[in-house]
Amino acid sequence: METTSSNLFAPAVETPMQRLMADLRGLLWVAKKEFLYFVRYPSWVIGLFVWPVIFPMGYILSARALSGPDGSGLLLFTQRTGVEDYLGYIAIGTTVWMWQNAVLWNVGYALRGEQFRGTLETNWMSPSWRFSFLLGPSLTFMVMMLIFLVISAVEFGVLFGVQMHGNPLLVLLVLLAATPSIYGLGMAFASLIITAKEANNFVFLVRGLVMIFCGITFPVDLLPDWMEGVAKVLPQTHILRAMRTSILTNASFQDLLPDLLILAGFGAFWLAAGYLIFNRMERRARQTGAIGQY
Amino acid sequence: MTAKIESLSRPSFVSHLRALYAVARKDWQQFWRYPLNAISRVVEPVVWLTPVFFMGQAFSVDGKALGFEGYAGTSDYISFILVGSVLSNYIQTVFWGIGYALKNDMDSGVLESTWLTPVPRPLLLVGRTLTSLLTTTIISIAMLLIGWLLFGFQPTGNLWMALLAALPMLVGLYGFGMAFAAIVLLMRDANTLVDTSSYLVSLFSGSQFPVQALPRFLLPVSLALPLTYGYDAVRGFLLDTTTIIPIPYEMALLVVFMFVMIWLGLRIFENMERKVRVRGTLGQH
Repeated sequence: METTSSNLFAPAVETPMQRLMADLRGLLWVAKKEFLYFVRYPSWVIGLFVWPVIFPMGYILSARALSGPDGSGLLLFTQRTGVEDYLGYIAIGTTVWMWQNAVLWNVGYALRGEQFRGTLETNWMSPSWRFSFLLGPSLTFMVMMLIFLVISAVEFGVLFGVQMHGNPLLVLLVLLAATPSIYGLGMAFASLIITAKEANNFVFLVRGLVMIFCGITFPVDLLPDWMEGVAKVLPQTHILRAMRTSILTNASFQDLLPDLLILAGFGAFWLAAGYLIFNRMERRARQTGAIGQY
Repeated sequence: MTAKIESLSRPSFVSHLRALYAVARKDWQQFWRYPLNAISRVVEPVVWLTPVFFMGQAFSVDGKALGFEGYAGTSDYISFILVGSVLSNYIQTVFWGIGYALKNDMDSGVLESTWLTPVPRPLLLVGRTLTSLLTTTIISIAMLLIGWLLFGFQPTGNLWMALLAALPMLVGLYGFGMAFAAIVLLMRDANTLVDTSSYLVSLFSGSQFPVQALPRFLLPVSLALPLTYGYDAVRGFLLDTTTIIPIPYEMALLVVFMFVMIWLGLRIFENMERKVRVRGTLGQH
């Protein structure tokens, strides 16, 4: 009697279209799993509403204290920076920082979280597109962050009295231009920490760079020259400038174009870097057998 | 005839001390297992200070924040904030050290087995903070040195009196931390809770600015927090700032806070912990 050996895990679909559809279904399931995980903890949902107010509040109240009881400090700030609406200035700066921070924790931590819970190795062995384990959480958190940004905008208006002077469509365009850089960086980051492990420290490093150099609460021209040089090569500096210009001034598309082009360049670079680093790290982790270790 | 069931364990004061040491040693090993953690714990608070430093520069003339002096009694805003950050480190340690450690144990699946050991549970919680307190002290010293080098940190007052003022505040925080740990046990999620509550408590206690600068409707919140007087008294001693009320009154308030919080924290923890055991949700996360 002749027996034939068959691979139980061989994909049941063969044509490229069927393969694509299967990968997409897998991707959606990963995104859905991440969504269920998110809503499983009500305090995370509450955080979406609370953080847009309380995080900028620290800087806003510090600015208020620095202004002094007679407002003399504020006069100096306005003369130095040319910024009158310091509330809006700080609120936008801290929101962009929180956006990047949340992407680093959520997208950047997606694979590390699976590794920590001991499910990464088993998921890795499933006959699915491996990049979907990273792309799925990114999709979920893109939607979550969009909700977060809308909530932030409403709360700034209602609670801090921040007024939008610009064109909402241009603001949306800036957001779209900023998204690839922010998520590409998150993906590159997630891939690195599969092997580097110490995720917290990498989050602190990246968000620290944004906090120090990108001018979340002050104009970057206050920085020493060498720091200003560093600020220019960080996409968040350009995101902040474009966001502030589009929201706080009546800027036109032409005014925003230089920053939009720079952001498009950064976005292409970081998305490509995210994908390449993921492939390289994934291969390395399998070769060293480190995929399941934490 | 009824058989008397006896536990095989023989807990004693010495065995409790050994347990405390074992918990602290385990945390110490875990801390140094990830050396980058130690570095980032020093660097991160300095990173948080940098935007405030540059923002403050925009409000200052020749490095002196004269507007700020109107509220705080000192124009040296960076020393004011640096002292606040060091105290916040300790507040975070108690929050993270207890609530977050519980969540970590839940995630790693060891909480239930740890709970079965014949060690008083509040003692286990205290044990989780010993290593963090030591590392926080080392980190705070490093941070002040960096602050001195980069931002010109200059304490002008009495360091020993400042430490004396910080002591009842820190002991009282243990009570706070235990009550908080009980909530983490019940809700099974620590991150958002820890982040939000410790940030808010630090903020309204005046870790980053003199509370006199708060809008009127927020000032009562700040004055109702005992930590406000802790921050205020320590800065009063160390930087000769203008205090909200005379320092002896602030010290008296801190001592009362210490006793009340320890008693209340233990009661809340015992009740909630029992509730969780009755529900059988201790091992869930």
